Amino acid sequence: MKRLQILKRSMYATLLVTSLSLGGCESFLDEKPDKALAVPTTLSDLQALLDDYNNMNNDHPAGSAETSADNYFLPSATWASMSNEAERRKYTWEKDNLFRIGYRPNDWYEAYQTIYYANTVLETVPSIERTANNAQTWDYVKGQAHYYRGLTLLTAASIWAQAYDEQTAGSALGLPLRLGTNFNEKLVRASIDETYIQILQDLKQAAALLPERTTHVMRPSRAAAYAVLARAMLYMRRYEEAGAYADSTLMLNDKLLDYNTLSATAAYPLPKFNPEVLHESMTGAPQPLSTSRARIDTLLYKSYADDDLRKKLFFKKASDGYYSFKGSYEGSSSLFTGVATDEVYLILAESQARRGDVTSAMATLNTLLRNRWRTGTFTDLEAGSADEALALILQERRKELLMRGLRWMDIKRLNKEGANITLKRVIEDKDYLLPPGDLRFALPIPEDVIELSGMQQNPR
Amino acid sequence: MKRVLLLLCLLGFMLPVLAQQTLSGRVVSAADSSPLPGATVKLKDSNAGVTTNAEGFFSLPVSKDKLVLVVSFVGFAHREVPVNLPLEEPLVIALSEDDRNLQEVVVSTGYQNIPQERATGSFTQVSNATLNEQVGPDVLSRLESVANGVTVDRAGLEDQLMVRGLSSINGPRSPLIVVDNFPYEGDIRNINPNDVESVTILKDAAATSIWGARAGNGVIVITTKKGRFHQPLTATINANVTLSAKPDLSYLRQMSSSDFIDVEQFLFDNDYYSFMIGGYGYPVLSPVVELLDKKEKGTLPADEVEARINALRNIDVRDDYERYIYQRALRQQYALNLQSGSDVLAWSLSAGYDRNVDQLAAQYDRLNLRFQTTIRPAKGLTVTTGAYYTQSERTGGKPGYGEIGQANYYIYPYARFANENGSPLPVARDYSQSYKDTAGGGNLLDWNLYPLEDHKHVQDTRDVQDVLANLGVTYRWKHGLSAEVKYQYERQQSARRLLQDEGSYYTRNLINRYTLLDPETGAYKYTIPRGAILDRTQSLLESQNLRGQLNFDRNWDRHILSVIAGAEVRSALTVGYTSRLYGYRPDNLTFGSVDYTIPYPDLVTGAERYIPNMADEDEVLNRFVSQYANAAYTYGGRYTLSASARRDASNLFGLRTNDLWTPLWSTGLAWDVSREPFYKLGFLPYLKLRSTYGFSGNTNPAFTAVSTITYPASSPYTQMPYARFSTFANPDLTWETVGMWNTGLDFAIRGNRLSGSIEYYQKKAHDLFAMYPVDYTTGVGDQVMRNVAELSGHGIDVALNSINLDGAFQWTTQLNFSHSKDEITDYYLGTPLAYNLVTPGYLVTGIEGKPAYSLYSFKWAGLDPQTGDPLGYLDGEVSSDYFSINYGEANLDDLVYHGSAIPTFFGSLGNTFSWKGFSLTARLSWKLGYFFRANSISYSTLYSSWGGHSDFAQRWQKPGDEQHTNVPSMTYPDNFARDSFYAGSEVLVEKGDHIRLQYVSASYTLPAKGTKQGALKDGQVYLNLSNLGILWRANSRGLDPDRYNFNALPDPQSISLGFRATF
Repeated sequence: MKRLQILKRSMYATLLVTSLSLGGCESFLDEKPDKALAVPTTLSDLQALLDDYNNMNNDHPAGSAETSADNYFLPSATWASMSNEAERRKYTWEKDNLFRIGYRPNDWYEAYQTIYYANTVLETVPSIERTANNAQTWDYVKGQAHYYRGLTLLTAASIWAQAYDEQTAGSALGLPLRLGTNFNEKLVRASIDETYIQILQDLKQAAALLPERTTHVMRPSRAAAYAVLARAMLYMRRYEEAGAYADSTLMLNDKLLDYNTLSATAAYPLPKFNPEVLHESMTGAPQPLSTSRARIDTLLYKSYADDDLRKKLFFKKASDGYYSFKGSYEGSSSLFTGVATDEVYLILAESQARRGDVTSAMATLNTLLRNRWRTGTFTDLEAGSADEALALILQERRKELLMRGLRWMDIKRLNKEGANITLKRVIEDKDYLLPPGDLRFALPIPEDVIELSGMQQNPR
Repeated sequence: MKRVLLLLCLLGFMLPVLAQQTLSGRVVSAADSSPLPGATVKLKDSNAGVTTNAEGFFSLPVSKDKLVLVVSFVGFAHREVPVNLPLEEPLVIALSEDDRNLQEVVVSTGYQNIPQERATGSFTQVSNATLNEQVGPDVLSRLESVANGVTVDRAGLEDQLMVRGLSSINGPRSPLIVVDNFPYEGDIRNINPNDVESVTILKDAAATSIWGARAGNGVIVITTKKGRFHQPLTATINANVTLSAKPDLSYLRQMSSSDFIDVEQFLFDNDYYSFMIGGYGYPVLSPVVELLDKKEKGTLPADEVEARINALRNIDVRDDYERYIYQRALRQQYALNLQSGSDVLAWSLSAGYDRNVDQLAAQYDRLNLRFQTTIRPAKGLTVTTGAYYTQSERTGGKPGYGEIGQANYYIYPYARFANENGSPLPVARDYSQSYKDTAGGGNLLDWNLYPLEDHKHVQDTRDVQDVLANLGVTYRWKHGLSAEVKYQYERQQSARRLLQDEGSYYTRNLINRYTLLDPETGAYKYTIPRGAILDRTQSLLESQNLRGQLNFDRNWDRHILSVIAGAEVRSALTVGYTSRLYGYRPDNLTFGSVDYTIPYPDLVTGAERYIPNMADEDEVLNRFVSQYANAAYTYGGRYTLSASARRDASNLFGLRTNDLWTPLWSTGLAWDVSREPFYKLGFLPYLKLRSTYGFSGNTNPAFTAVSTITYPASSPYTQMPYARFSTFANPDLTWETVGMWNTGLDFAIRGNRLSGSIEYYQKKAHDLFAMYPVDYTTGVGDQVMRNVAELSGHGIDVALNSINLDGAFQWTTQLNFSHSKDEITDYYLGTPLAYNLVTPGYLVTGIEGKPAYSLYSFKWAGLDPQTGDPLGYLDGEVSSDYFSINYGEANLDDLVYHGSAIPTFFGSLGNTFSWKGFSLTARLSWKLGYFFRANSISYSTLYSSWGGHSDFAQRWQKPGDEQHTNVPSMTYPDNFARDSFYAGSEVLVEKGDHIRLQYVSASYTLPAKGTKQGALKDGQVYLNLSNLGILWRANSRGLDPDRYNFNALPDPQSISLGFRATF
């Protein structure tokens, strides 16, 4: 009996000690383990995610597009000296293995990482009540997320899908459209049509939600959303709408940078965040495009007039007598891949020319060029016909927008318009050709993605 | 569970016991006649025995009138008592306390002390004497060659102690370290081995499950020395000095300078460097390339260039390392311990001082002070207090092999650190020499890196102060119930001070790069002020533990019941900050200021950059709440049944109380066969069987139910904090559990001629975490943590101690033999890429039926006799399509499976010879049954980062070479996939098996000079030789399988001399 009592007592005591230690445990355990950690639940958390320059602005996946394009060439010895074999293959448009396995990040990775951030925001925002007090921020945050998803899908589509063609868009392979954060969900590739529908939908929502201007161009604004919409419409060859969006952009911001104010002796004369920048995004130069390797296409270099300031501001003579590029809107060797007003002027001009409005088209083009030429040397360009105007505009487009990751899609799009551009590389007397309509205009999706996801590879 | 039931049934059959006559008596302490509950009373030669009850009484069935009782109790000298029946007066046996020669080994779990003879679980105890055969500065490094079931994996970046092989793939792999009663949060190197009484390794589930979710990898319990009651003042001093040889640099597989220069000449002729010479950012060029460029430009005559280059062909950078950098390491260790005890107070005071200077002249000084008391102020009440103070200082030394020169490059083999007169020379670093010589027109600071000078301008000190204080109060009621409260407070303060003065390369380079220079006027301006750069990092760790525990120990009739139950809370806070001062002047403590808000053009590239701002703050708080209980019931001194359970909760994100309160449990049985009345094997007086089953677990911080973001800093553009993802919501994750079944047999042959234990265990680990490659279209990176695998393992641990010769000349042997094998039983992963199976380094291969860490390689079809290209197999056909071989879906038929990448057999063998006062111990250790991948030449690494390999000399050069070499020909342009095929091919896989002579130690014990106070009671001089080298290895390349990574050097031999004396 006594023994039983002891047992009883000890059990009570155990319970006492236990409950004492656990009584306060709910609040004891509620303390955050790391002050710098949070579960993203508030608008300011979401804005902070969107403000991560490295994920949202840097490493915009346009490097592969510019590497594949024809603004530059590599001397044979330089090509051979590159340690990254995938980049060597990309330069000669091989049909596969253009992304180094096991070495990340690559452009595909960067694209979908940005999209994940956007998706997190878009999934979280609806759980925050939109009130009179927070409505402005609420819209702003949601708008930015739509913008990033739309922009990133558009750049990715320019690399991994063929040019948009109304006839085939319903069946041709587009992108896998990841619109949520559940990484267990398996995806298949959407058609090009579905891809562009998603892009336009995101960008239109962004334009509706974003404020006209933002505190810093690293955050997107309504003007930037219109500009990307104009770019998307241009890629879809819906020129009328491209022009309309370009016009809307310029209504909000039509600033141009007068190149006469810049110093050609500077290592990188074009400042970062200059007034033309509508939204900042960039990527570090891939190995072939580094200043020490890439040489500007000689015909392209020769096409700049001596009084065209860009000739000195964009290019630097290298030790081998060719020219390297120093005109990035990043003020460094990194490539500017964002949106700027100069691009929007050129979209507007092209749209005007394509609908036959030669006068407006030339006026738009001349407005831009006046800011590019030495003061007092520029006489307005004139065109006798819409075709002549278009040819001039497209030539200026190439001269203005090189090394921004835009040329690759232009080649694809213009070949659809019948431009018949064949690309050519020469390595040690061997020619590599990429004729119009070649399947290789859609780059292969990295092989490991195909292996792991079972997604369909671009046909070869 | 089935096994447990079976054992219970067996137990039932054994219960009937025969008895004829009963002997009763009482066991008390000789000092105060207090009863000794739990003392063991045995009949000599028959092994039947009982334990005393709470009042010290026992009764024992006997069948003879004349007998001898053997009475023993923890902490007391055992006694043999002759008894004649019938008794004339009540039998009272008094035992006197004894701090030595414990008859009963007691193992500590950190929650309780268990007499090993009543333990069901698997415990390995390493005594003070065994630990002291070595003189290493920390406790853990002394365990590998003496503890059973323990091995150190050296293949990774950091040496990893493992208990019983692998239980987790990607979770934490370190065992839990407990010092006295609580997990040790500080740096384990703080603990002075001279303060350690013993180390207990908890190996199976029954032993570890009391530690719950942190014990999946085993637990190591370190018990420190304590004072004892009724002990005169004794003082022990210990001093030793250790000298280690310089490392053997000839072990490095360095490419010859002449071959290296030939390659550079070849690359130069192929214009490999043309885009680099004077190119963007003025990339660094090696001295040979600079010379070739000068020859080509005509700025140096061709014959002079040739002469200079030819002179470099005979230079070997290792000679300069040997001459100027490496030195012998010296370690000194001094320790003093005082102990005394009355009947109320026992105390121990110790002090230790260690001073180490390593082979690169880095210093480590450590001071330990320790004071520990046990007080018995009133009957039943015991109060213990302890205070432990450690102060250490570590200062940086010279740069070792692989640490000099260009970041991400290897050192070119013809580098020189000094000229013929010993004056320091610069090495190529960061930019081309011609740029460094001309940039800034003389207005910049010297831009050269002088390896022999630089460390003189870098003061790197790390101070650690650690205070640990604890208090324990135990109250013992009658009837065996006791309650205890333990509290421990630890505060470890670490500070790093890195002062790089203006003479250091780091500072000069940074100041130069941020100098604004007008190319036209030559005007210049420093944006980083001249003077030193001072970086300081402070961190504070503060942990508190509070434990309340009830113990119930009761013996009655033939029963012993021992129950503990308790709860604890633990909180660990880490606070840290980092700061940097520019333009610091140590002589007057002034510093300059910089503008972090505007970007400056980099002098070299012109790109705009901000001045590095090193300010950082962090604060991490971990909290845990746990409940646990353990019960053991022994019947008749023969059968013990134990059970244990624990559950934990923490404040980790997403781990809400409800999610984590998963209990872990274990149960065990032990049967002391030799105490059975029917047991007649006189030659084997001790035989015990035990078996346990239970679970322990592993948690991982990556285990979060919600996505978390972290705020790294503020954006320079918006001046607002920005955030990025830290962990991704991973709701499907559950924690790892390791179930283990352990069966053991403990035995001793008469006279302890041979004693030991043999254990067999099986474990099954469920839901193991691993990084699982995912399609990165998901946006969460290319791999996520998942529960991907089930692992089953089994193993054998044998520990044998034998007395081979006894008498004046004594020879004893200790053998630890372990076998451990694991196998993936389930892996939820699709067919992996071949590349992922063969990638050098440590990755889980995840092929069912094969060990978690398996070594696979590409099947080898020789070298192409025409080109020297390595040939492999693709879908069964000989192929040189390296891309598809590497990056295609793995076809196991194209791969070779070699075996486990971690040792499956390991152990140690020690022999001790003693004669009079002389004693000599030699210990061998071995690791067998595993494979590793040797390094060889990679041409892409050679071209782009100067990473050569001596195999280059054996490369294929002309048809016919393929008969006697497997080293592929040199190709240009380099082909990464080809290099990676060769690196992963079967010709580079070697057997890791080896036997090592770990140490030899010799000692001479002086004859005792009596027991008077102040007289020398025990004196010993000793000598220890360690890292004596490999006696046998299976690989023919002469590689040390513990140190085969590029740039890794085998541990040099060392010799120690010291003495120990007790007064």
